[in-house]
Amino acid sequence: MTNKKSSYFIIIICGVLLSSAVFIFFAALQESKRPAETLQQPGSETMALPTEAGVFRRWAMALKYKDMPEGGSRNLATYYANRAYHGAPPLIPHPLVSEQGIGGRTCLQCHENGGYTEQFSAFAPVTPHPEWLNCRQCHVPKKTEGLFAGSNFEKLQAPPLGQAAMPGSPPVIPHGLQNRENCLSCHAGPAAPIAIKTTHPERVNCRQCHVPAQQEAEVFERPGGELGSNW
Amino acid sequence: MSTNTLDRRSFIKKMAALSAMAAAATMFPGIVFPNEQERGLPQGDGNIAWKKSPCRFCGVGCGLLIGVQNGKAVAVKGDPASSVNKGLCCVKGYHSVLALYGKDRLTRPLIRRNGKLEPASMKEALDLVASKMKDTIAKHGKDSVAIYGSGQWTIPDGYVASKLMKGVIGTNNLEANARLCMSSAVTGFMTSFGMDEPMGCYEDIDHAGVFVTWGNNMAEMHPVLFSRMLDQRLRRKGVLIIDFATRTTRSSTASDRSILFKPQTDLAVANAICHEILKNNWHNRGFLQKHCVFKKGKTNIGYGLEDNFKFTDEPKDMTLAEFKAFLEDYTPEKVSKLSGVSVKDIKYLASLYGDPNKKVMSLWCMGPNQHTRGTWMNNVIYNIHLLTGKISTPGNSPFSLTGQPSACGTVREVGTLTHALPYGTVDNEHAREKAAKIWGVPVGNISPKPTYHTVEMFRALDRGDVKFIWIQTTNPMVTMPKLKRYRDGAKKEGRFVVVSDVYPTPTTDVADVVLPAAMWIEREGMFGNSERRTQHFEKMLQPQGEAKSDAWQMIEVARRMGYEKYFPWTEENHVEKIWEEYYKFHEGDKHGIAPYEVLKKEPGVQWPYVNGKSTKWRYHVKYDPAAKGDSFDFYGKPDGKAWIWARPYEAPPESPDKEYPFWLNTGRVLEHWHTGSLTRRVSVLHQAVPHSYAELHPTDASRLGVKTGDKVKLTSRRGSLVLPASVNERGLPTPGQVFVPFFDEGLLINELTLDAFCPISRQPDYKKCAVRVEKA
Repeated sequence: MTNKKSSYFIIIICGVLLSSAVFIFFAALQESKRPAETLQQPGSETMALPTEAGVFRRWAMALKYKDMPEGGSRNLATYYANRAYHGAPPLIPHPLVSEQGIGGRTCLQCHENGGYTEQFSAFAPVTPHPEWLNCRQCHVPKKTEGLFAGSNFEKLQAPPLGQAAMPGSPPVIPHGLQNRENCLSCHAGPAAPIAIKTTHPERVNCRQCHVPAQQEAEVFERPGGELGSNW
Repeated sequence: MSTNTLDRRSFIKKMAALSAMAAAATMFPGIVFPNEQERGLPQGDGNIAWKKSPCRFCGVGCGLLIGVQNGKAVAVKGDPASSVNKGLCCVKGYHSVLALYGKDRLTRPLIRRNGKLEPASMKEALDLVASKMKDTIAKHGKDSVAIYGSGQWTIPDGYVASKLMKGVIGTNNLEANARLCMSSAVTGFMTSFGMDEPMGCYEDIDHAGVFVTWGNNMAEMHPVLFSRMLDQRLRRKGVLIIDFATRTTRSSTASDRSILFKPQTDLAVANAICHEILKNNWHNRGFLQKHCVFKKGKTNIGYGLEDNFKFTDEPKDMTLAEFKAFLEDYTPEKVSKLSGVSVKDIKYLASLYGDPNKKVMSLWCMGPNQHTRGTWMNNVIYNIHLLTGKISTPGNSPFSLTGQPSACGTVREVGTLTHALPYGTVDNEHAREKAAKIWGVPVGNISPKPTYHTVEMFRALDRGDVKFIWIQTTNPMVTMPKLKRYRDGAKKEGRFVVVSDVYPTPTTDVADVVLPAAMWIEREGMFGNSERRTQHFEKMLQPQGEAKSDAWQMIEVARRMGYEKYFPWTEENHVEKIWEEYYKFHEGDKHGIAPYEVLKKEPGVQWPYVNGKSTKWRYHVKYDPAAKGDSFDFYGKPDGKAWIWARPYEAPPESPDKEYPFWLNTGRVLEHWHTGSLTRRVSVLHQAVPHSYAELHPTDASRLGVKTGDKVKLTSRRGSLVLPASVNERGLPTPGQVFVPFFDEGLLINELTLDAFCPISRQPDYKKCAVRVEKA
């Protein structure tokens, strides 16, 4: 009897958990369709958590990504070399179809969903933010190697990969997520540099295990209470 | 900033630590993690502090977070807390900090000795500047010295310049480069509404159903706002972007409809739109009766091509019937012939403005402003919005954009123009009294007569009426139209030119003294953007070498001239003290500005700032605490009305002819800002657009036998220039038109341009003159 009761109890609990998981999943999907917005109000004193919008974009591709062959020509060195500093918008490393074009009619033809391009014998990287249509607002080509004047700029370096709290625990996200909320666009598929490619794109809910490492994190100390942090 | 940063940072720290703790706790319930283990937590970007600042470049005023590490700016991200850009930047903003670190930064003063600029100490250089300024005043009078500043000046920089020149020395020889980009906007606002700056704000973008861009390539020049428009079009049904321009650009490509007009005829098209609105009874009768009056001014007003040109308008009353009669010359059929815009397109534009169910936002910048009838152009756009009552409410917004980070905040609000004071104009006795009281100077010190506007100031330098000029944060030896005259003038014997800047430029080439300036976040300051938003930034970095801020350089010179008591502040506290003093000029509900502490905390505050709140829309009682009555209140004018002006089409001073058959249009590109003195030091931006070029229409190019990269020679009545052709690249001029960006100091297109200006605003027209194009 007791056993039966407790197993009912467990089933009910499981049911509740399952339904809430389903609810959360779909709520998150809904969320991903919502326009990019931050949780922070202008003028508020505190920084909000990174926006979740766009997190689940490309989830339908996840299984395909899993089965896609390796074959990307990009590696981490070229990936970093294509940016002025860690987090800067990457340059356009190839000749352009049109100087007049804007978003949907040009860049996004290849960079919205990726795929192989004969012209460059390469897989096109996928943009994490296809909703921003004026691509050339941030991404520019390089038409010369020359400089107008030299520079003493010291760039923010990319952090080491695979930072985890303990051996075997899930690595943290070592970069900002603004405009890069959608993990799969850079970390999955044939265009992803091998060094940052996930082995398990099908899990989709990346941030279930991988959390952003906040650069300014310090030890948590209880603000008060009977037992403070240093009891 | 300090309290805010600390709060924010400690909050982030707590959040991060919390999430790590929470994750750990779920894995190992019951285990408390000791401090040692937490120290090993991954650090992400490393030891970096993110501090807020408005962008150094255009007038949009995006909020940036600057990554500072080991005393250097190493990265940038968009500030998600800024309502301007909501975390998005353009390529200039993302790479803005690289502009601090060009190898050729000016780090010590230079003094010209025996024709050569030689290093000197800051003390020696400032002593020399002060004694030269003093001697020149003693020998040639107050009006022989001048300061020429910038819309990139911070508000405190402009304030010190105004107090020193207008209050203490007592000359109105103070101008700024914003004369070349914004003064038609100012006179447009003043003549139509009696108060400067837009009634609306960027939030209008989230409400408008139709965007009409007037001669404005926003995809390149105001990309973040353009992206907000594109974003709205994706999100909301039926949103339209109409590009009304003289050439086809990226903005045209992105718009729903691109309508091209012949240069200068935008005046006529705007009048035709008004004609159609009235003819079809699309005007808002109640609004017109209650809130508007009709005025006409002088016609055939000239172009300012001759020295000492003078013009004063005389407004005369008009009735609606007379206004209608005036518009009879502007039927769509007549205007179509003149402008090249089809009758159908004119009617289409009118129908968008006339549809009572559509909220319309008009946006413009240099097209209507750099126009020999720039004030009129601004007036006629307001006319359209006033006839239809589409103004001062969310989404109904005639919106004049700016090009510099503080053209509004510094030049327009502090009033660093010859006729202006921080409050009001010099010819107004009450304004002079107010300024004298706050500054602690005798009211007689402030001259009631404006002296030289920018073009005339450089003419006066050429003539020798001005003998000493101090140029700060701007590069007139690239930007003045008809450049040769003004360069030759600056180099003449008996002229003393002081230049404060961060890099060597063609302007430092003509200097007698060069002072190294602290740039942007190397000092504390405030900028004011296009939507009346004031934004503060703290000093994040040490200035390089001996560099000092423009404000502090002027204070040092003022002290050497014996004016210490007017500038009693320290280098540490002067920005705060200046703000406290400046604050008094704008007190009240029409222009109140936020206190220093609030500015430090917020991502930006819009004036009028009343009872702790920004004002988003002015002149409507629902949104503006200064408005009285039950709806609109155009309190800028003494009669409480907005003025609708009858402004005719008048031809430009120079049009293509047999000898010079092409229009020359000049402007910017996305990657470079103004004269490129900053952006060309940014590798990414220089490498994207390494040099200037001449855009030609393909039919003209094939007739001339040139393709992209071939050299063409452009010749005007003022000069000539050889530069590479660009065919079917970024922009597509109409046949018979050539477009050249002006950022390249190696290819100075302003050798060719004409120094004609709008007689009301005195802003030159860089968009229209006649040239010949040959294969070189």
